[in-house]
Amino acid sequence: ANWDMPTPYGDSVFHTQNIQQFAEDVAAATDGGLEITVHSAGSLYAHPEIKDSVRRGLAPIGEVLMSRLANEDPIFAVDSIPFLASSYDEARALWDASRPLVEEKLAAQGLTLLYAVPWPGQSIYTQEPVESTEDLEGAAFRAYNAATERLAQLMGAVPTQIETGDIPTAFATGRVDAMITSPSTGVSSQAWDFTSHYTDTQAWLPKNMVIVNTQMFEGLPEDQRQAIMDAAAEAETRGWEMSAAETEDKIATLKENGMTVSQPSDTLSEQLAEIGETMTQEWLENAGEEGQQVIEAYEGNM
Amino acid sequence: MRRILDRLYAGALWLAAVTFGLIAVLVLLQIAGRLIDRAARLVDLPPPGLTIPSLAEFGAFLFAGAVFLGLAGTLQAGGHVRVKLLIQTLPAGAARWLGVLVCAAAAALSAFATWSSALQALDSLQFNSVSYGVIPIPLVIPQGVMTLGLALFCVALLDSMVTLARGGVPGYRAAETRTEEQA
Amino acid sequence: MEIATLAPILVVVLFGALATGLWVGFSLIAVGLVAMVLAAPAPPELVFATKVWGGMTVWDLTALPMFIWMGEILVRSRLSSDMFSGLAPFTARLPGRLLHVNVLGCALFAAVSGSSAATTATIGRMSLPELKARGYDDRMAIGTLAGAGTFGFLIPPSIILIVYGAATEQSIARLFLAGVLPGAMLAGLFGGYIMLWSWINRDRMPAAEPPVDRREAIAAASRLLPVVGLIVAVIGSIYLGIASPTEAAVIGVTGALILAAATGALSFAGFFDSLRAATVTTCMIAFILAGAAFLTVAMGYTGIPRELARMIGELGLSPYALLAMLTVFFIVMGMFLDGISIVVLTVSIILPMVTAAGIDPIWFGIFLVLVVEMSQITPPVGFNLFVIQTITGRDIFAVARYALPFFLILVLATAILALFPQIALWLPGTMLSR
Ligand code: NA
Ligand code: NA
Repeated sequence: ANWDMPTPYGDSVFHTQNIQQFAEDVAAATDGGLEITVHSAGSLYAHPEIKDSVRRGLAPIGEVLMSRLANEDPIFAVDSIPFLASSYDEARALWDASRPLVEEKLAAQGLTLLYAVPWPGQSIYTQEPVESTEDLEGAAFRAYNAATERLAQLMGAVPTQIETGDIPTAFATGRVDAMITSPSTGVSSQAWDFTSHYTDTQAWLPKNMVIVNTQMFEGLPEDQRQAIMDAAAEAETRGWEMSAAETEDKIATLKENGMTVSQPSDTLSEQLAEIGETMTQEWLENAGEEGQQVIEAYEGNM
Repeated sequence: MRRILDRLYAGALWLAAVTFGLIAVLVLLQIAGRLIDRAARLVDLPPPGLTIPSLAEFGAFLFAGAVFLGLAGTLQAGGHVRVKLLIQTLPAGAARWLGVLVCAAAAALSAFATWSSALQALDSLQFNSVSYGVIPIPLVIPQGVMTLGLALFCVALLDSMVTLARGGVPGYRAAETRTEEQA
Repeated sequence: MEIATLAPILVVVLFGALATGLWVGFSLIAVGLVAMVLAAPAPPELVFATKVWGGMTVWDLTALPMFIWMGEILVRSRLSSDMFSGLAPFTARLPGRLLHVNVLGCALFAAVSGSSAATTATIGRMSLPELKARGYDDRMAIGTLAGAGTFGFLIPPSIILIVYGAATEQSIARLFLAGVLPGAMLAGLFGGYIMLWSWINRDRMPAAEPPVDRREAIAAASRLLPVVGLIVAVIGSIYLGIASPTEAAVIGVTGALILAAATGALSFAGFFDSLRAATVTTCMIAFILAGAAFLTVAMGYTGIPRELARMIGELGLSPYALLAMLTVFFIVMGMFLDGISIVVLTVSIILPMVTAAGIDPIWFGIFLVLVVEMSQITPPVGFNLFVIQTITGRDIFAVARYALPFFLILVLATAILALFPQIALWLPGTMLSR
């Protein structure tokens, strides 16, 4: 069989490279019995279309940012609560705690989760140093979903919607003063062209997940299904390692290009931890009993 | 029947036009909110941060809705582009029957589009699909509008086909002739 | 099905559908449907709605009706004809005279609009009737518009550069800067051609404008003020950070309405008429875009563009030969698909071979814009052609014929850019170097 696999990001992104390797592994393990053609950078389906196209069987397999589904169920937003899990160890523990529920919610839509890999942690990009949240008070802060909007509000900033392609112009012309994103995106958008300070908050590690249409998956012969599952398990391990290496690598690149890289001050860390506390509570109000169990399991894993 | 159909196409086109106007108004409000924030920062007051939540997403839905609602009216106004070389060189009778055929093909394709769009709207309804932005909008609403617009487009094409077959001049042809005479 | 069989079938279906007079949007859907049925593993009825919905719900598209509406208001309020009478005395000694307005107007307008279709529609709606009324050669007026309308993509902001930058992880700021000088160069080449043409074809130029004295010149200049002010306001709103490029379109509409109201030149009927006309043009363009979105995904499934690109890669060409081959590839593909779709479908195959050949990816982005610009004016599928057919009633093949010299200038510009890559790379290197 030949499977088309839409993915949202370009070929130079480590998530895509990991997927290419995954596709090669599957082809090798099945002796070419299952070829996966990766359509990167939204070239077959754009990011907003990918989840539904896999669910509808237009593509058997695809990759999507988990928190893109946050409006469908709060559980998909658990990896995007700022300062709940802000290191690879914590992110791992949170993923172990939340994975069964994520799988269950996806199964209800006829989707099977294969694996998930985090982006490097989300950090703050500004033109001025940030010593405390007071430095962000009244600043236009880029928000692209409900969680980032709430985060901006809690920091006293003004949440501002800026489309991805518009970010350089928006910084250059003062429509936005700060954004929070990974070092990867910072490097790929050459953030040093329009910002000068990187505050390494690593606020949360959002994950991309690779999902497959359950019905089409089960239509495969047993050995091919096993090959996919094996390759997926390897891709998850490999992806987490790539992500950690990427974090150091890209922060170094930011430095090389003249950005001031700094650790959050004690004041800022305290303020941010408090915001994290608030946002976790707010998420729990939304996620109810299920959410409570995930957070308890997470704390147990730590 | 003729009057009802013509009013339906024109009414949907007006709804589309008003929707484009609404996008303009929302964007102006957004810009005004930004200017107020700036003014507040200038005089050292906390900026009120007045924005329209999810405007980019909401505006895109309005755009799509308006486009599909306007398709039938655009046909009647001779707005849709086509190549007329062959039709212009054929004798009148043959041109008419080719026109009937083309309208039938277009009607069939728009019926396919309508069916497809209806499937999507139903799917969104069944899975409670909502938009991604700060305000979750049930997707069945804008996708339902898309389906309605495509259905009306299909009706307009069938209408043109019947008019042509009976020897009449369909709306799009009359409008095209007006443009050709002006040019 | 083999590509060698499938591709000719699809080309025949497209030409056949278009030739019978089937509307362009439907012709694209028909080809997409045939491709899906013959070669795609997915159900077409689910693919169509998914892709068309995704393709239409794009925020940047909202600028399209706004800019077109602005043009319709200016035409109805006589502000645009004032502008032409204002410009006329100043171009009296320039060979080609007012024929330059399309180039100048499109270059200016391209600085606020990211799309070629919007640029062509807005400028053409104003300029073509005026040029015709003043006795300028129709073919030349239409040709200059078709050619210059493509500036929308080259002069920043640019939708295509945003798409390319996002897919290849290139800095959009650098790409935008890289487009500025090639845009100016292209405007210069177009202007030069107009001068040359009018010098050779003096008999096809209208009679010279009567000479004007200083007082009349000042009066003429004052007629330019409102529209110049409007342009300054729209560009200024972006660079002062008041509006995003998409939002700036609404500043344009609002400004045009205020001007029209202030000069008492727009009635209520005119207002509604302008909105209705803008709606019709927008729905026309958007319906073709919808058809193109469906055809694009069908092409993605068939793998034709990827396969052809891969075949070019396997030829093992030298850098110049590779660029020449890619130019031919894009010109041929650009006849049938819209330019942005081609970039999306092929970039992940083409970029590795281009960087392997030692070609700078920022430079390559500008090269891509030039070839995508060509696709806007090659028949049968070219958005500038569709827009101009709507304005003038001329058939797209006729419009393409008038645009042919400008197509050739685009090819020439590509060659110049290949020989002197610094035209694209100097500005980003200077302004953003560390
Ligand atoms: Na532009
Ligand atoms: Na073309």
